[in-house]
Amino acid sequence: MIFVEAGTRSIRSFDAQLIFAQKLTARGFDACIDADYLPEDAGRGRLYEAANFLTDPEEHVAEAVFVLGAEEVEDLLLASLRQKQLGADVPVVATGRFKTQQSYVGAKARLAFALGREASVIDLTDTQPRSMLPSAVSPLVAETRPIVRPIGEVTDVTVVLGSMELDNPETLSCLSRMSSQGDYGLKLVVSGAQNEFITASHFNDLPRILYTDLSPLTLAKSTDILVMFGHGVAGDRMAELAVELIAAGGVVIDCTEDEVLMSSGAPALLGPKTLFALDGYLTGKILGNTSQIAEQALKSQWLRTIEISRLETAAELVAKPRRPERTTQRTLFLPTNGVGLGHAQRCAVIANALPDNISPIFAAFPSCVPIARREGMDCIPLVARTDTKDNSNANDILTYRRLSAALQEGDRLVFDGGYVFDSVNRVILEHGLSAVWIRRGLWPKGRSRHTMLHREGIFDRVIVPSEAFEELNDAYSYGDHIHYVGPVFRRVIQSAEDINHLRARLAERFGRDFKQLVVSMLGGGVASDRSAQLQAISGMLEARTDCLHLVVTWPGSKVQPAVFGWKNTRVVHTLEATKLCLAADLVISAAGYNSVHEILYHNIPSILIPQSAPYLDDQERRARALSDRELCATITETEFMKLERTVLDCLDDGGVEVFRSALKKIKLPEAGAAAAADLLIKT
Amino acid sequence: MFGDTQNVAPVLRRVVDELCIPVIWDSPRISADFVILHNPSFLKFQNSLNAQVIARELIVVTHENFLRPGGEEGFDVSNCLGQIDASAIALRKTLAPVSAYNRETVTNWVSRFREARHWQVLEADWFNIFSTDLCHPCDMPEDRRGRHSRPGFEKFPPVAELDMCFPKHAKSNVILGANALLDAGVHRAHWKLLPFDAISVEDFFEMIDFFVYFTAPTWQESFGRVVAEALAAGKVVLTDPKTGKTFGEAVITCHPSEVDGIISDFILHPRRYHEQVSRSQSALERYSVQNFRAHLSKVLTPERGVPA
Repeated sequence: MIFVEAGTRSIRSFDAQLIFAQKLTARGFDACIDADYLPEDAGRGRLYEAANFLTDPEEHVAEAVFVLGAEEVEDLLLASLRQKQLGADVPVVATGRFKTQQSYVGAKARLAFALGREASVIDLTDTQPRSMLPSAVSPLVAETRPIVRPIGEVTDVTVVLGSMELDNPETLSCLSRMSSQGDYGLKLVVSGAQNEFITASHFNDLPRILYTDLSPLTLAKSTDILVMFGHGVAGDRMAELAVELIAAGGVVIDCTEDEVLMSSGAPALLGPKTLFALDGYLTGKILGNTSQIAEQALKSQWLRTIEISRLETAAELVAKPRRPERTTQRTLFLPTNGVGLGHAQRCAVIANALPDNISPIFAAFPSCVPIARREGMDCIPLVARTDTKDNSNANDILTYRRLSAALQEGDRLVFDGGYVFDSVNRVILEHGLSAVWIRRGLWPKGRSRHTMLHREGIFDRVIVPSEAFEELNDAYSYGDHIHYVGPVFRRVIQSAEDINHLRARLAERFGRDFKQLVVSMLGGGVASDRSAQLQAISGMLEARTDCLHLVVTWPGSKVQPAVFGWKNTRVVHTLEATKLCLAADLVISAAGYNSVHEILYHNIPSILIPQSAPYLDDQERRARALSDRELCATITETEFMKLERTVLDCLDDGGVEVFRSALKKIKLPEAGAAAAADLLIKT
Repeated sequence: MFGDTQNVAPVLRRVVDELCIPVIWDSPRISADFVILHNPSFLKFQNSLNAQVIARELIVVTHENFLRPGGEEGFDVSNCLGQIDASAIALRKTLAPVSAYNRETVTNWVSRFREARHWQVLEADWFNIFSTDLCHPCDMPEDRRGRHSRPGFEKFPPVAELDMCFPKHAKSNVILGANALLDAGVHRAHWKLLPFDAISVEDFFEMIDFFVYFTAPTWQESFGRVVAEALAAGKVVLTDPKTGKTFGEAVITCHPSEVDGIISDFILHPRRYHEQVSRSQSALERYSVQNFRAHLSKVLTPERGVPA
């Protein structure tokens, strides 16, 4: 294991450690960072990157040690080195930009005191006398490995705004125009303050990321042209991005006020100082000539000054390109953990529709694991989000780690959910995955479209499982990558004989005969508390001796204790709710996507009580679409009297037959699971 | 040149006051037959001496080793001597080592750097004056070990060697100046770790019978004042051969792995302990005021322009 240490402990140093550890990993080495280096205020993005490298030093034997930023050597570093009690044969290589010979001699001496032997100290100013970032802790080295560009279908342009002020109202307008044209794809790298400014403006849909949202290595993988504005280079991360991109055959345009990239000797192009001239410069001079520009840049002697192999040689390391662990493509379904199990159910249905030569696996949250396993698929268990305030995304970091371990370049990730997690975003970009987003529609009013869509670009395809009724199929984004398929839901075939057998088993199980079976599926109270409705239904059915009322929830969900007090009401935890619904005379259900489509396509008479929460789909619209066609009754959460009337009407006055008859007559679109599976295998 | 604090060592202050010699700070011009400049490494963080020196002979006393064990420079010597060179007009420029080991580093450095060959190296050591009351050794030595030093990493050997020097079976192990060990969480139940200045040196010596002193192998004392203090306090000193070179038979030189055996032997034979302390304290005579006066009289000779 290679330990990456730093002379000082700070955010800047930690960034340098992370990036260098990533570079070593990309070169085939195992690198780690002592967990003590993690800054308290590391911020969200860095935590993801750090999760791959942080370790307790005693867990590993050091193969080599790198010390970055050795121009300043704190006692904490010396203590860390001394505690490691490194063997005499473990190379220790320190890099720094030493302003004086004394600072070099002093650092070398201090390292030697801690080690009990000499370290190899490399003065980067020898090879990089005019660094693009003289204060950089990072050694600013890379592997020269040009790749064919553009990487995607259009040239990707990343613009780093640097210290640019955004108060000129024309600036964002200009960027917005640039992001809307089709000659290139635009992405901004912004500071926290710039991001807030943009978010509060009319141009809040500008594609942008923060400095720490992605590592420079990952960012370079999705960038063909890098443009830098501001005064100087905006920190180690951006300097690393420029170095990495040039080494990878990309084009770097220096628009900084002090022409800092050019003056470092880097083979960058001198671009316009003003943003307003950038579009013309790109389209007129750059876009048609990127390969020639990159070719010239790769001839630059400057590339020799950034060769990472020099540091590896000093540490007696020989790069060993990582080989993929598998030769076959893996397909992994990742359903988000919504209020119910809808995402997981849908994924299971599509996974089952895949050809036999594809054996998909799942990564699922605890409530969804049984669904995947029931279908005979392997499942990587994930950890659900907790409500801890200090680190609310800790579970997602774990998800990121597990997905990273399970997937390799070229694998296929199928994500079913609304908000695209950081883990999903990072894993797709870092591993170069084929990615598909199964994105149900009917978003609630008021949901930020930008928040939902800003990561759409990382997916190769977006599959939208339609609603059964056309008026519910809103379009949220457009393009060749968007594919609409018919409703995707779980089909259950159950004969009359099966139904009779199930009802007999229920009678036996609960020790009472019944003529009417009512099933309530109003959720576990996560999104909307339906305990009052359940009590009301249980109460009105209590006196009906020929009726059995089942409160059906998925395993593990909470049920109010009061429900257990009724004689005619029983609680059933099951993943086979559809079978119970098919056996029921009446189903009282929430109006989630899966429930409604199963009710529709299986002709099940129902009363729908929509749930509502800011993060839920618009269940009321979906329910109304059915009740307007007299396929069910829709009851809102406050309509208790109507609920009672409707239940009685259904059970006593033929209401269920009216619904069943209408359901049989309605023409529904073809189910979409097969089409979705077909799209997946083409991705 | 000397900074803003203008601190003067108490002993020196007393002498200067008794002789009514005025102290001139940061004089832009220093002119005398002999100018003695102590410890050139004080210039390592600056670019200029900021004073002009005019002298018949400039003697630079090299308190800090020019080279570390292994041959790496201890500080940027060229820069420091260069600043002095650029500011001094003198018929003779002399480097005055403070000990045998210090001399070795100075002569090796001078032979390595061509541009420094005009510097003469004084033949006799410009040793530290060590004048203090001598304490008697204890009657019956026990396995009470200790060390004290400034807290820098260079003053401490690797942890594995510290473990050998201060083992569990010793009656006590006291480490004064253990700031770095405390900060790094290097604890042993059988170690008493005290930060620098936590107790007086006198109190520290009350707690031990054996002074066990090893440093980082990449650093070396140029003189070893702590060793001399321990000898004066009536303790047996165990140290590495290079540090011990300054003190000859006054100290026991060994490797950390040999410490246990040597201490056991002294405890079994208290007479040897007393003989060793007695021998050590006699050796301290070498660093007396009288000897230094004799040394100085050999430097300030008529051949060097001092009237007889």
